[in-house]
Amino acid sequence: MLYRRRELDLPHGELQTPVLFPVRNIGKRSSDNTPSYVTTIPDFSAAMINARSIRNRKPMWNRLMNGVSLREELDVPENTIVFADSGGFDFVSEELDTTPADTLETQHQLKADIYGTVDIPITRENRTTVNQRRINQNIQFALEASDHHDCDAHLLASVHGYDPETIRNNIRYLEKHGTFDGYALGSLVPIRTDYKKVTKLVIAARQATDKHLHVYGLGGLVYQPLLLYLGVDSFDSSAFIRSAGNRNYLIPGFGGEELQNIEDMDMLPCPCPVCGQRKLDDIREDRNALTQHNLWALATELRRFRYIVESGRDVEHYLDLRFQGNEVTQRAYKIAKQQVRGLA
Amino acid sequence: MSDGFTITDEQRDYSQYNLEANPFPYSPVPAENPEIFCGQQHVTTSISSTVSSVLSTGKSKHLVITGKYGNGKSHTLKYTRSLLRDREDVVVGYVAQPGEGFLDIYHEFVYDIGFNRLQNVAYEYLASITREVTDVNPTGPEAMRSLIDEGDVLLSEIVPEAIRQLSNITKFADFARAIIHMVYEDTNLYAWQWLTAEGIRYEQRKEMEIHSALDDDTMGVRAFTALKNTLLALGYTGVFVFVDEFESIARLSPKNEQGTLNSIRHLMDQNSSGLCMLFGCAPEVWQDVMSEYHAFSERIGREVALRPLTSEHLYELVNEYLDRERTGNTSDDTVQPFTEGSLDHILQRSQGNIRQVLSICSRILDSAVDEKQSHITADFTRELLIL
Repeated sequence: MLYRRRELDLPHGELQTPVLFPVRNIGKRSSDNTPSYVTTIPDFSAAMINARSIRNRKPMWNRLMNGVSLREELDVPENTIVFADSGGFDFVSEELDTTPADTLETQHQLKADIYGTVDIPITRENRTTVNQRRINQNIQFALEASDHHDCDAHLLASVHGYDPETIRNNIRYLEKHGTFDGYALGSLVPIRTDYKKVTKLVIAARQATDKHLHVYGLGGLVYQPLLLYLGVDSFDSSAFIRSAGNRNYLIPGFGGEELQNIEDMDMLPCPCPVCGQRKLDDIREDRNALTQHNLWALATELRRFRYIVESGRDVEHYLDLRFQGNEVTQRAYKIAKQQVRGLA
Repeated sequence: MSDGFTITDEQRDYSQYNLEANPFPYSPVPAENPEIFCGQQHVTTSISSTVSSVLSTGKSKHLVITGKYGNGKSHTLKYTRSLLRDREDVVVGYVAQPGEGFLDIYHEFVYDIGFNRLQNVAYEYLASITREVTDVNPTGPEAMRSLIDEGDVLLSEIVPEAIRQLSNITKFADFARAIIHMVYEDTNLYAWQWLTAEGIRYEQRKEMEIHSALDDDTMGVRAFTALKNTLLALGYTGVFVFVDEFESIARLSPKNEQGTLNSIRHLMDQNSSGLCMLFGCAPEVWQDVMSEYHAFSERIGREVALRPLTSEHLYELVNEYLDRERTGNTSDDTVQPFTEGSLDHILQRSQGNIRQVLSICSRILDSAVDEKQSHITADFTRELLIL
C-alpha cells in the first residue's frame, strides 16, 4: 500500500493530507451556489476554485479587487485552504487566453494557498501529435510558472500523459529544471472508466516523486479509496454537485443510487446530519440537502479508510470487501493491487 | 511380464578415452550457435566473399547454398550467423523455413532479431534525434533509456520529431510509429505484435495511431524495407537474412510459390544496398527455381554446393568434436579412441553425410564404453553397424 499522511504548511494554515478539495462553482455562475460545508463538515476545510472563471467574471472580479476577499465571496472562514487551478479544463473546448505569469498573478490576487500551473488537457480523441504538443506545452508553462513564482503558496506543476513513461519523464524533467512543491496529474477524467490505465499513471507519478501528488477531477466515491491506496495526497471532485443535479444519492461503501429507484422508504440509509433527521421525500425535493449529503458520503468514505489504517487493520482486506459489490470496481481494485505489489 | 528395461541416470565413464563426455550429439541437429565448422573450403570462401562484399561496399549481395539433407546447410547458415552476430554494425536474422509466403519470412526474421534488439533500435533512434535536437549526447540505447527515465530529456520534445523523421526515412508512417511505441511499456507489446506481423486488434492499433494492418506479403516487403532503412540510417552496414529449408517453397501451390518468389524479388529490387540474403536449399528444388523463375534466380547471383565429407574432412571433424571433451593431453591430430580403419568404415557407411557421421560416432562411442573396448576398431565398427 502506498497510502501516506502528510501535513502541508500553507499561507492560510496547516492542511492534513490526504484530503479532498470539493470543487466550488464560483465564477462559473454569477455567484457561488455550492451549499455550505466548510463549517459543518470538519473534514473539508478546503476548496478548489477555477482562477480563470473568476478572473473572467468581471463584476465578481471587480468586487474582489475592491476589497472583498475570495473567502468572503465564498462565504467561508478566512482560514479555509484554497487550491486555485488554472481553469485548464476549459481549454478542451476554448482557446487558451492566459499565460503562466498572468495565471500566477490571478492566483496570487485571489490569495490561494495552492496554485496549479496552466495546462491544456489531452484527450484520446486527439491525434497523438496534438497530445504530444500539448504535453510539451504544459511542461513549458509549468517551467515558466516556476520562474515567476516567488511567494509562500505551494506551486503544483500540472502534468499530463496517457502512458507511464511520459508521466515519469515529465515529473523528473520538471524536478530537474524547475522548483515545485508538488505535481498535479490531469486529463484523467476523459479516461476515468479505464481503471487500469488510470492506476498505472497514478503509480508512475507516485514513483517519480515523493512530493505532494494531486489528481485532478477524480475524487468521487469509487476513486477516492483507490487514490488513497495508491498514495495520492489530494484530489478534487465536483461529483457531489453533479450527482445531486442528477438526483443521485451517494452511499458510502456502495456508490451512487438514483433517488427515483428508492420509493418505499421513509428514511434514507445514511445517518449523516443531513439525512439522519429528515425524511426521504424531504431530501428528494431539496437539492442543496442532497449535495450536502453527498459531501458527507465522501467524508465518510475518507474517514473509514483512515480508520482502517490507524486501527492497524488490513487495508487490502477492507478494500476487497469495499469493492466486492461491483464487478467493474472490483476489477479496478485488483489491478491497482497487482500494480502496487509490482505484479502487473 | 518383461523386466528387460534398465533405465538409469548413471552416466557412462569415458575417462579411459581421456574424455569428459560423449562429444557427439545423439540427435544431430544444428546447434543454435555452432562452434565447429570443418572443411568445405569452397563454401567458406563463397560465403566470406558474399558477406565481406556487403560489409565493405554496402551493396546488396545474395547467395544460395545447396546441399543434400544432412550435408550441413543449416549448420553453415547458423555458423555464419554466429560469426556475424558479434559485429555491432549488422543485424542478422535466421529464418528456419519460408512458411507460406514472404510475410512468414518477415515474421520469422523479426522474431529472430527479438523484442529486446528491436526495442534497442527504437532507443537508438531516439538517441540520434536527441543528439540532433538537444544538447545531450546519448551514445547508445542504454544511455537513452536512462535519460528518459531520469528526466534529462523530454519525451514529448523528441518523440514527435523522431516519428516525423523516421516516417521520411521509411516512407511508412505506421512503421515509424510502431518502432517508437516500442519504448512505451503500455504499448510495446502491441507494437511488437504489429511489427512481427502477428496482427493486433483495431483498438490496439488505434491507441498507437497505426492505420494499416501488416497482413500480406506486400506489406511485409514494405515493413522489411522500412526496418532495413531505419538500420542504415542509424549507421548499420547491413541486414543479413538467412533463409533455411528454402526447398519447402516447392510444397506451395504454383500461385503461392510464384507470389513468394516475386515478393523476395521485390525486396531485392527495393534494397540495392545493405541487404544480404543467404538461402539454404535442396539442389533439386533450386534447379527447378532456376529453370522456372529466372527473374528471381538471376538476382541471387551465386550458388555454392555443400559436398559430402572427404576422408580428410571426416578426420578433422571427429578430431574437433573429441577435442571439446578431452581431459588430458593427447598427441596432435589424434582421433583416439577411433582408429583410422573405423573412420574409413564410418565414411563409407555414411557416404560422407555429416549428420550420419555424427550420429554413428555418437552411437559407437557409447557402445565402446559399454563393451569396455580400448580402441574403436574397424571390426568393432563394422559389427556394430551390421546390427
